[in-house]
Amino acid sequence: MAKTILAVDDSASIRQMVAFTLKGAGYEVIEAVDGQDAFDKANHHQVNLILTDINMPRMDGLKLLELLRKLAQYKNIPILILTTESGNEMKAKGRAAGATGWLVKPFDPKRLLEVIGKVIS
Amino acid sequence: MTELQSASDKLDNKVEDKLVLEDKDGVICNNAANEYLMGIRGDLKQAERLVSDAVNNLVCNFRYISKLTGSHHEMVLAIERMAPPEGRHPISGLLEKQMVIANRIEQELDAVITSLQFGDLVAQLLEHTARQVEILSDELRRIDRQGGSQGRDRKRYFKSMPSEINKAVNGVKNMGKKKPVVQQGMKMGDIELF
Repeated sequence: MAKTILAVDDSASIRQMVAFTLKGAGYEVIEAVDGQDAFDKANHHQVNLILTDINMPRMDGLKLLELLRKLAQYKNIPILILTTESGNEMKAKGRAAGATGWLVKPFDPKRLLEVIGKVIS
Repeated sequence: MTELQSASDKLDNKVEDKLVLEDKDGVICNNAANEYLMGIRGDLKQAERLVSDAVNNLVCNFRYISKLTGSHHEMVLAIERMAPPEGRHPISGLLEKQMVIANRIEQELDAVITSLQFGDLVAQLLEHTARQVEILSDELRRIDRQGGSQGRDRKRYFKSMPSEINKAVNGVKNMGKKKPVVQQGMKMGDIELF
């Protein structure tokens, strides 16, 4: 059975590029337009990995991370941050909130799939 | 700051009247500065729309090309299955070449995925810059309102104006330092697993 990934980004083009890459590798992809949308979808679907941006309207990626880590079903699910932010301060916040890894945009499809393959198993 | 201060000191009533207008409600409006900032905001919005439109079109083109590539790949595999198995048939060489081409197109499409993310980076930078312009514009309006609320004490208002503007500019400068995008090119970003 294909594993499901929740891809969260307010940029439609990034969501499309992520979905294209992941679907091509056989994953099922659920897309969310911001943290709030992702939180709602995470509550209605069982996902195996979450890939989220940081800077988004309504709810940012760090808040989403904090909320998800409080839920029993998302305590051990890998959550990767995919963002333009590369500052150490921001990375430290992500790490403290429970992120599994930090990927700086732009992503390379092959490297993204390698990282996902590594943490999803 | 010094330049602004000395410029302020040199202001006589005539110049004040030219630079600043007082509306019916007693609110002093620095029309020229705000119009200029509004113009910049308009330009930034236009740039954002153009980039967004271009990215949407490119993503559509990309999806179409990748779909065609997929079909091409499948077709080559189907012809390969239909080709006679014995020995080196002339069609085998052609199919091998087609497979090499299909693989190279797929590699190029991967590179396009990385490059197409420029839209998101540019949009974030434009938004960040537009926000700074908006804040500066709001601050200038606030300074104007303060001037208006001081009634007839316009001399005091003009004296404090440079330092108020300086404060506003510094505030925006500090905000500008926290850029959401620091990338200088479209090279793949770093990856760190915790």
